[in-house]
This record gives sequence, C-alpha cells and structure tokens, in this order.
Amino acid sequence: MALYLAKRACGLAIVLMVMSFIVFLLQSVIPSDPARAMAGPYAPSSTIETVREEFGLNDPIAVQYGHFLVRVSAGDLGKSVRTRQPVGDDLLRYLPATLELILVSTILAMGLAFSLILLLLSGARSQVLRHVFIALGSTPIILLAVLLAYVFWFSLAWLPGSGRLQFRDFVGTTGFYVIDGLLAGRPNVSVDALAHLTLPAMALALPFAVAVVRSLAGSLHDVMRQPYIRTARGNGLSEAAIVLRHGIRNAASAPLAMTGLQIRLLFGNLLVVETVFGWPGLGLYMTQSFATADLPAILGVSMVFGTIYILVSIAVEIAQSLADPRIEL
Amino acid sequence: MVDPVLTVARLGVVLARNGERHRVLDEISFAVAPGEILAVVGESGAGKSTLGAAIQGLLPNDGSAPEVSGSIRLAGLEIVGSPPQLLRSARRSLVRAVPQDPMGALNPTMTIRRQLHESADGDEALILDSLRRAGLSDERRIARAHPHRLSGGERQRVLIAMAMMARPKLLIADEPTTALDVTTQAQLLQIVRDLAREEQTAIIYITHDLNVAAAVADRVMVLFGGRMAEIGTLRQVARSPQHPYSASLFAARYDLNTDRSRPLPTQRAAFRHGETSDRGCGYVLHCQIARTDCSSIRPRERRARAHSGLVACHRSDEMPLPTLPVAASREAWTGEEVTDGPVALQLMDVHKHFPANRQRVWESPRLIPALRGVNLSISLGQSVAVVGESGSGKSTLLKIAAGLIAADSGRVSCLDPRPQVIFQDPVSALTPWLSIGDQIGERMRPRVTSAAERRRRVGEALQHAGLDPSLMHALPSELSVGQCQRAIVARAVVVPPKLLLCDEPISAMDVPLAAATLNLLNDLRRRLGLAMLFVTHDLAAARIVADRIVVLNKGAVVEEFEADMLQSPFRGAVTRALIEACPSLDAMLAR
Repeated sequence: MALYLAKRACGLAIVLMVMSFIVFLLQSVIPSDPARAMAGPYAPSSTIETVREEFGLNDPIAVQYGHFLVRVSAGDLGKSVRTRQPVGDDLLRYLPATLELILVSTILAMGLAFSLILLLLSGARSQVLRHVFIALGSTPIILLAVLLAYVFWFSLAWLPGSGRLQFRDFVGTTGFYVIDGLLAGRPNVSVDALAHLTLPAMALALPFAVAVVRSLAGSLHDVMRQPYIRTARGNGLSEAAIVLRHGIRNAASAPLAMTGLQIRLLFGNLLVVETVFGWPGLGLYMTQSFATADLPAILGVSMVFGTIYILVSIAVEIAQSLADPRIEL
Repeated sequence: MVDPVLTVARLGVVLARNGERHRVLDEISFAVAPGEILAVVGESGAGKSTLGAAIQGLLPNDGSAPEVSGSIRLAGLEIVGSPPQLLRSARRSLVRAVPQDPMGALNPTMTIRRQLHESADGDEALILDSLRRAGLSDERRIARAHPHRLSGGERQRVLIAMAMMARPKLLIADEPTTALDVTTQAQLLQIVRDLAREEQTAIIYITHDLNVAAAVADRVMVLFGGRMAEIGTLRQVARSPQHPYSASLFAARYDLNTDRSRPLPTQRAAFRHGETSDRGCGYVLHCQIARTDCSSIRPRERRARAHSGLVACHRSDEMPLPTLPVAASREAWTGEEVTDGPVALQLMDVHKHFPANRQRVWESPRLIPALRGVNLSISLGQSVAVVGESGSGKSTLLKIAAGLIAADSGRVSCLDPRPQVIFQDPVSALTPWLSIGDQIGERMRPRVTSAAERRRRVGEALQHAGLDPSLMHALPSELSVGQCQRAIVARAVVVPPKLLLCDEPISAMDVPLAAATLNLLNDLRRRLGLAMLFVTHDLAAARIVADRIVVLNKGAVVEEFEADMLQSPFRGAVTRALIEACPSLDAMLAR
C-alpha cells in the first residue's frame, strides 16, 4: 500500500510536468500574443514591448518553461492576464464552488444509481426505463443543462438557475456555502445554497448515474450466473442476501472504473454546466480564460483538474482492491 | 428398513435449451435411506446433474420455467411445486450440494470464514471443526484466506465442510472429484464415506466414473437419456448388469489392468435428444439385442433376474447379454515400438521458478521451484506420459516443451519449431465465430496458398480425426464436446507436427468419450509417427496412451519406466501411492 501510494505520487508529479509543458507549448503555437492581450488592444507597441520584457516573453520557450518551473515550485503560478490577479489566488477563490458542485453531483449520482439499481432488481425491468436510460445517456450535456434550466427555472420557477446564492452580503469561511451557512448559524443560507446546487448538480449527475447503472447492471447480470451464486442459492440464502452480499461486491469493479471515468468526464462537463448556470467556479473561470487566451489561468486550472483526476484514479484503484481481494495494489 | 430420507417418484423434468424443449428426466423413481450412498452414473447428457438440481429445487430457469412432474419427497417435505420460501428453507437445513468445479464455486471476495458462517449458523469453533473434519489440517489459515489463495483440493474440502456444517439429511455430490488429482480424490472419497457412516447422511454421488462409484457407493443407478436403465447394489449390478447399456458402460471402463495393446472398447454413439420416440426404449438405436417391439413399447422397471434391483429392459431375462457390445475394430495396434528414432524433444537439467507473492515491500520476492533439474527425452514415434499430483510441475513442463514459457536454466531442444498442444477444455480452445474448416485451414495458410488444396487437406485431417469432412463448415457451437475435441486433434495434425503435446485432454470427459479420445490419439501417433507428450494425473490413461511413463513429484522426476512395468513390485513410493489412490471397480469386486 505504501509502495503503491509512493509510486502514484511520483506518477502525479510526472503527469503534472508533462501537462504543464503541453499547455505551455500552446502559448507559442496559438496565434495570440499574451503581451498584447495584457497591455490592451490600443496600447502603443512600446508598452507591449515593456510587458513582453517584464514577463520574459522574448526568451526561448525552453528558458521560459524553466523560469515557469522555478516559479511554480515556489508556489507562484503567475498572474492572470484577464483578472490581473495571481492565478493561485483566483484558483483558491473559485475552487470551493467547483469542489462543492463535484461532490454534490457525485453523491447525487451515487444516490440515483443506487435507487435505479434497486428499481431494476425489484423486477421493474420495463422497456420504459430502458428507453429513459438510452435517452439520458445520449443527450448532449449542454442540451440537458439548458433543458433543466428551461423547465425548472424558467418555466416552473421551482429552483434557481443561476449563481450560487441569492444573499449578496454572505461571506463564508470555507467557501463551501452549504457548510458555511451552518457554521455561521444561518440555515436559510445552506438551504438556498442547496437550491442553487440542485440544477447544475442534476445536469452533471444524470448522465453519470446512467453510465454507472448500466455498467453495474451488466456486470451484475454476469455475476449472477457464476457458480458461487449457485452455491449461495444451494445454501438456502434469500435472493436479496445473495444479490447484496455476493452479487454487488463481485460486480463492483466495472462500475467503480466507470465512476472514475465519469468523474474525469465531469471536468469537461463542468465547463458547460458552470457556463449555463452561471456557476462561479473553475469551469466558468476556464471558459472565460479561453476567450482571452489567458494561458497562466488555463495552466493553473489544468493543474488543479489534473491533480483531482489522478487522485480520483488512485481512489478508484484502492476501492477496487478493497472490493476484490484478488486485485493487489 | 428405516424410512428413506429421499423418495423420488415418477419424476419428469422438461427444460428449454436454446428455445427447444427437451425431456431431460423421464419417470425416474428411487429412494435413498439414511447413511446410504447412491451413485448415479451415466454419460454426459444423461440427466444426472438435472436430477441433483431438481432435488434442490434449483432447476435452471432460462426464459421459460422448467416443467416438473412427479414427486420428490425429502424428509417428509414435498419439493415439487413448493413455494420458493419453503424450498429455500429445505436447502438451508435438509439438502446440500458439493459442486463439480471447486474453482468457481466459492465467492472470490469473501473469506472462507465468512462464507462458512453464512452457510450455516455456527460459531467459530464449529467452523474450525468442520474444516478439520474435511481434512484441512491448518484450519485457521484456511478460515482466514480468500478462495484464490487455496488450491482446487483445498477449495473442494471447504465446500464439503460448508455442506457438512449444515448437518443436512441429504448430500448431493455432483462429480466433486473430477477436477482433482487421484490422491486428493482418494482422500475426499474417504471423507464422503465417513460422512455417510458417522452422520447417517444420505448421499447421492453423481459421477461418470464407475471406478469412483465403486469406491464410495452402496447402490448404483444407471441413467440413459434421462431414463433409469437399472438400479441395484453396486456389487450386483457390476457383476451381472441386466441392461445392455449398463453392460456396455461397465465393459467400456478402463483401469490399470486394461489390455493396452489394442484400442479400448467404446460405445458406438452417445445419446441425443429427440432421436427416439417417447414410446419406445431410449436405448433401442444402440442396442444389439433390440427387437421390433423395443422401439414401440417402453420397457417398465421390473425386478431384475440376476440381482435384487430393478431393470428397464424387455429382453434382459431372455438371454445372456453380449459381453462387449462395442465398436468394430478391436485388433491390436500394429507397428513396432520405436526406441531409438531421432530425438523429438529433449530437456536437460531444466529448472523453473515462479515468484511468490511478497508480504512486505522490502522483502525480495520468494521463488517457488516448479521444476528442479528435469531430464526428459522423447524420440520420434514414441509416446511419453508425465504423471503426478497437482502442483508437481507437469503443466509447467508441458508449457516449457511447447515454448509457451521459458526455462530458467537448462537446455530445451525440440525437433519441431512449432509443436502442437491439445488443451484440457476442447470447447474453449476453439474460436466460437470461425468455422471448423477455417480454424483448421489457418495452420497451413502461409505454406498452402490454394484454397482448394487447403479444403482438401482439411477434409483429410477431419477424416483422420474421425469426423465427417462436411463438418468443416460448422461452427464450434454446433458440435458436441467430443466432436470439438476431435476437431482440435484435426487442427493439430493437419500439418503433421513432429511433437504433439496433450495437457490433461480427457480429465473432464465421461468414460466413453475419454476412451474414444485415447483411441484416436493412439491411432494418430502411430499412423503419423509423432512424438507425443501426454500430461495427466490419471495413471490408467497414461498407461494406455504412453510407451513410457515419467512420474513427477515436487518438480523432479522420481521414476521413469516402460508403461507395461507400471505394476511391477519395484516401483518407488510415489508411484505406488499414485497406484493405490486409483479407485478400481475390479479391486472392489475382488474384495
């Protein structure tokens, strides 16, 4: 286990290096001049030149990358071209919103997946459910998000469809507003934060849950034909006990891998969903940074996403080996 | 007589397979008393396993529900037509089963202790005690372990312990030793016998191996095509079978004393569903003494003339049964034994280790020796059998000879750059979506470019292997297991190899099929002058198929001798132990 974690930590460092290098290379490839972007469209060329000097943009790319690595290792991710704030500060500001959204949608997806599986096992193997699955699985995320916003916010006005909170004055300590509301003794803030979370989390969770359920249903179908299930039946266990104790755990590997895969897909979906719902998180920040070719910001967000990505993979592998003792880390 | 634990009366089962409905069991009636062991014998497809499943109330339900008629009374409880709740409680307390394949029958994600605990409500002491009684001496380690840490023999003992813990009135053992080596088999048979004697458990022992049946059973029931042919005490039925099918079944078995200079006696054909009418006798197409009315009037069970059991045959009283109702040629193998041909395979001082799992990161991996300095040489035209218990390194030896794995040290030289291998499971050794002809023809693709020539040679190879050449267009799923095995042999010999390697090719087969396969291999190797390496744990098969037998123990060759000298008094301890572990019907009859 210790060896495994050490190995994966080294892997994390390598992946982050490679990723940052690729994003860094983008800078020299795309037809956009960061110095021009920073100085503004009407700045005289002398100003642009000064900016270029200041940010070391005249150096060869390898030297720039070297400088960058030195800065990053000191904890400095550079300054965002767009917000003119240090990227590190920006990340810290937007990360909690995104983490909150990821966590809530993952929990929601697990809940949905579990209830759908129970529905399937209870014998409701209806064609309707199948078609709903296929429809949900094939809807593009942007359409799903817009539909949810249209129906539940615009038409029915049941749930808020934009932003994180309706209270302008509230400042939380942790940045997770649901928790902050409770910490500050204002439960109405928490309720409002949850209401704002519902639609974006739903948009992220629905395709997630469908993918997990389909992979669990598939592998459970195979597992229930295994000889040890027959042994369990021969031992006179009830069908529910057989599925829960012998079936689910043996079938867990594929849906766990699917969960990891879906959390990774979530990052891409975050860009869409945060933009649609005006969710002030890293996804929205990234989308806006793309528009202004704000490479330091893009690089910063990529590093955060890359780190979460690898942590999720590690968590999935550990979960798989806990579920199945034959898988060694 | 005490009340029987199980009374089955006119049991009929119709199952749907691939959309077709087949009568798998037809009017079966018998009873089993407490402490009695009833062997159910017959070839694959005779309905043996379905009988076990029906008694447990666990008939397969693929799409359409199985039709069950008649009655199964288990300790006063009627199984047929009972609600699931009742069946479940019967399975929990009255009837338990030991399955055929111990490798897959335990949940891989649960420790043995938890599985035992779940199977019968018992405390730690009972769990450990059951494991010990099932012959596992280090019961604490076993209880802690997950199934994948245990060998096949250990898993089967765990399954027996699991069944014993519930103290069932009836135990159904469905070929529990087929996948195990003879030594483990002998120990397990002893445990089963003890269980019947000490706990008064009634046992139904399903097997295709009459020698195994002889080692455990008090009575025997012979099934053919889902019908009962004969039932009686094992001793009497074995001495004087009254049904022509039983007679041929008892005649077709082979053991350590079978004549190995000629082909084994085999039955002409296996039973297929739908080939006989429901009205006549199911065996009529294979029977040598059938009359016209045999195909129109179904024989009822009645008292046998020569023993105290029952038999279902019109003609058993009228005439002595032909002693060997068997296939045509029983002439001795021709051709002399080759002793000094060119060497086809030579292993010199071959060593092989496998790394064991590390417990700690800083330990260097422990190496477990699989082969320790093995010397072996096979000349062209010679057949050598390698026998030994499981774990003795026989499969590793074969894989090294095949070039599938490399030896750690020592010299391996093989005359044939591509020796052919015949593996244990013929069905999974064929690609399901390619026709038989394509799979066989594939082997000559680089050399024989003309499609017509390839077809001609595929047809020839199929004929060599005893198959109809028209089967080259069939898919593996359309063939029986025996035909699949023949197709694999055809594939191996279509470009005649110099060396043919066989890895336990018959261990999962019923006796008639195994005998036919042994005959085929014996015939082909003589006809094509191949060198053959035959790996098996079955001494009887080794003796029949090989000129020379090599005994492997813990990775080292302990003895090597001519096959005819197997029973010589000069054999070493390992070989003697293997011989003694072989169950034998004749030995039982002689006692």
